[in-house]
Amino acid sequence: MSQHYRAISWNPQKRRYDLVMAAGLVSYLALFVGVSAFANPNATIETLLIRAFGTVALLLLHVVLVIGPLCRLQPRFLPLLYNRRHLGVTTFVMGLAHGGFALFQFHALGDANPLVSLLISNRRFDSLANFPFQPLGFIALVILFLMAATSHDFWLKQLSPRAWKRLHMSVYAAYALLIAHVALGVLQAETNPLLAGALATGLAAVLIVHLLAAQREHALDIERREASIESGFVEVCRLGEIPEKRARVVSLNGERIAVFKHDGKLSALSNVCQHQNGPLGEGRIIDGCITCPWHGYQYVPETGASPPPFNERVTTYRVKLVDGVVYVNPEPVAQA
Amino acid sequence: MIQPLRKTHRLIFIALAVLLPLLFIAALAVRKPMPVNQPFPAQLLKTK
Repeated sequence: MSQHYRAISWNPQKRRYDLVMAAGLVSYLALFVGVSAFANPNATIETLLIRAFGTVALLLLHVVLVIGPLCRLQPRFLPLLYNRRHLGVTTFVMGLAHGGFALFQFHALGDANPLVSLLISNRRFDSLANFPFQPLGFIALVILFLMAATSHDFWLKQLSPRAWKRLHMSVYAAYALLIAHVALGVLQAETNPLLAGALATGLAAVLIVHLLAAQREHALDIERREASIESGFVEVCRLGEIPEKRARVVSLNGERIAVFKHDGKLSALSNVCQHQNGPLGEGRIIDGCITCPWHGYQYVPETGASPPPFNERVTTYRVKLVDGVVYVNPEPVAQA
Repeated sequence: MIQPLRKTHRLIFIALAVLLPLLFIAALAVRKPMPVNQPFPAQLLKTK
């Protein structure tokens, strides 16, 4: 990572990812506008574009939101996570196009400033059916802008991964606002059950995968282990339970520790990657280095340091093997 | 280090799992039937 701004470095994986995304977007927009124009010949092109950009932004946001927990539940989805930030920025751009066309169509032709008109033209806060849903979408768009603007690694380093992640958790507020925006907006006028069904399906998918993943993580966090009084070492597992060049993750004193087995050796390190706090223990050892499953950041198992020229470092712990049982001392040897 | 974030995330989703379905159902429940144009009276369509 760099504290100086560096443009995005492209690689074949990123190019493939973005190509698939762009092809999907163009196909969706063309199909949506084409089918809608055929089914509703009286609709204006502005209306069709507002709906096309709005639906694709909402669809993309659902995809962005389910990728994380899906990867926690099933590692085969990890390739989707690799370039998720581009999906997030695209979601914002699609939302901006939706908002821009809507602002022009509904608020730009009067004598008031369009943004002022958007915020004050409807004040029916006392009525759910007539609730001012447009400002909800506007606030969500502002949140998505903040996230898109700070999505680069430069901001990740400036803000620290922890603060950056906290900031980016505001996507859940944006999601809640957008569900309200759609349910109190277009769903009040459009009674086709397909629309309500699609939104309900998306909402259920997001909630279920997040709750399942959170439950699984919580179960690992509350797992209790008794420390050996004499030495401070804690029993972790049997040696045979750790696959070669992979790790077993345990929670000790509120910290997750990944115990790797490699070339007849054991190494215990913090499970938290210094890049985006990815789960190192779900990665594997490639070319002698622990490789984060999220974006490929690497660490030497014995020292926790990234190989030169990089200078990241993760916390390491003492580990010992007694009668085929692996023990870890939860006191850090070298802090990150 | 990131256990507090995981806890926050879990609490957020427990709250969202309650609030968003409630909001969705309430929004559907308050929908009003959209006014439908009546057919134009036939006698008015007659031209001389």
